[in-house]
Amino acid sequence: MTGVSTGLQQLSRTGSAPLRWLAGWWRIVYFGASLLVLALSPSSWRREVRQALMRHLYLDTAPILWWFTMLCALLTLVITRIVVVTALSYGLSRYALEMVIRVLVLELIPLTAALFVALRCTIPNGAALAEMRRTGQFDALLRRGMDPVVTQALPRALAGIFATITLAALSCVVALVLAYLAVYGWTLAGAPAYTHVFGHVFNPAVSLIFVLKTLFFSLAVSIIPMASGLYDVEGDGSRESAALQGLVRMFAVLLVLEAACLAGNYS
Amino acid sequence: MAMQPELDTPVQNSEPTTARPVRHLELKAALLLVFTALLVAGSAFYLLYARGVFEPTQRLVLLTDDSEGVVIGMDMTFSGFPIGRVRRVELAETGNVRIVVDVAQKDAHWLRTTSVFTLVRGLVGGTTIRAFSGILTDPALPDGAERPVLRGDATAELPRVLASAKEVLENLGAMTSQDAALRASLANLQDLTQKLKGPRGALGVAFGNDADAAKLVAALDRTNALLARADTLAAKAETQVFGPQGVMHEAQATVAQLGSLLSETRDSLKKVDAVLLEAQGIGANVRGATGDLGSLRGEVEVNLRKIEGMINELNRKWPLARDTEVKLP
Repeated sequence: MTGVSTGLQQLSRTGSAPLRWLAGWWRIVYFGASLLVLALSPSSWRREVRQALMRHLYLDTAPILWWFTMLCALLTLVITRIVVVTALSYGLSRYALEMVIRVLVLELIPLTAALFVALRCTIPNGAALAEMRRTGQFDALLRRGMDPVVTQALPRALAGIFATITLAALSCVVALVLAYLAVYGWTLAGAPAYTHVFGHVFNPAVSLIFVLKTLFFSLAVSIIPMASGLYDVEGDGSRESAALQGLVRMFAVLLVLEAACLAGNYS
Repeated sequence: MAMQPELDTPVQNSEPTTARPVRHLELKAALLLVFTALLVAGSAFYLLYARGVFEPTQRLVLLTDDSEGVVIGMDMTFSGFPIGRVRRVELAETGNVRIVVDVAQKDAHWLRTTSVFTLVRGLVGGTTIRAFSGILTDPALPDGAERPVLRGDATAELPRVLASAKEVLENLGAMTSQDAALRASLANLQDLTQKLKGPRGALGVAFGNDADAAKLVAALDRTNALLARADTLAAKAETQVFGPQGVMHEAQATVAQLGSLLSETRDSLKKVDAVLLEAQGIGANVRGATGDLGSLRGEVEVNLRKIEGMINELNRKWPLARDTEVKLP
């Protein structure tokens, strides 16, 4: 991994702009694959790494879980109300519930969760990695025989993935419950019809796309900022550059993923 | 916390993971992991339940000649309630379309052997498959039954509707064209209203020219004058009839005289009645005399027959009696 990284760094410094751009993307993909391999390797999970992972898991997820859930609940209520009232005025109320589920659960909430985790956790984590690298702490770790990718980047990336999935899952459940309450009120009479609509929307293809989308969103918001902070993907390695590069590349990937999912769901 | 590097910059301090120790970190992290795992597993279980994975179903095959609008997963409804879901759409060897529908067994009792299935394409929304069961006492539909489906397409009516709409628009255009009858009628109506607003008003419209309207006005004036004269004449007639020397007084006197004349006539009639009574008595007497004449006449006839018999006897016995014998030659 070190040899490939060195070659990529040389290419980044000496190549033309398109080559540097391609090299940057390749570094991100390579870093992501390395992280996955390291995550699946038992040798990576030494006690210190497990401790760091638990710490990041809890501190990256728990403090923002309830705030984000409240935010999603508010968003759900507003959008559900708008959709239901509009559909009712056009006599299309039978499609309102399906539209709410599609718009909120399928499209908006996974994207919002990924962006929230990126802005609150992974981009600051990536910037912190860049700062540590700039201040020479990685060199100190290497001298002590510790790989900074394993000890610093891996827990942060896995914590970002976990936070994205947890936030998306909890917000989807809360959105489903609130959408039911907004449409049917405090009664269980509408539960069979609601379950049927839910099952109608989430056919196997849509369910698979939803799961893959959430997974890839979590990978994108976790890996790209870390890669940008850990390596000189582009620029001079200053912290603004790392944060900005990570942000731009991450948004680009999220946009491509969302477009691909939309094409898969509605084409 | 040996792995946590020293935080000495604002950037590292902005990281969520601070150097502050967390109490019961392992427990909290484990609870969070369990919570997420339960959340994901529960969501997956609900999804499978909503997809009907745990629900026993029976199969129904609908046969049609066109599968347009039929998609996998669409509902089959009965009275608006979804009771089945399209599992597969395939072509049969005969070229027909086989729509395989999974019907939940708890709802399968709504489908009978006489049930009718329709495939309707609406103008708004997708295609719908509906089931109608008229006689719910018929035998239940068996598993794997094949039934034809009736097709109805609202969009198929669109060309005819568009053609009709085009025809209507053309008619409307013809009606509102420059030389159309409607436009001429409206122009005439405008002239009419102008005339109505003119000095002659409705009379001018009714007669068509001012001269005749003037004649009518003159006739009305003369009629008014005639009515005035009639009023005068009526006043004079009243004086003649009901005045002190009027006809009515003379008529009353005449009526009084007529009354006395009538009483006198009544007296005369009473006298006539008496005369008639006497005449009636005379008549009765004449009737009795007439009866006596009858008997008298009978007696005369008897006497005459006796005299005739006596003469005949005399003739027979008398010597000068004629020879009445008949002598033969």
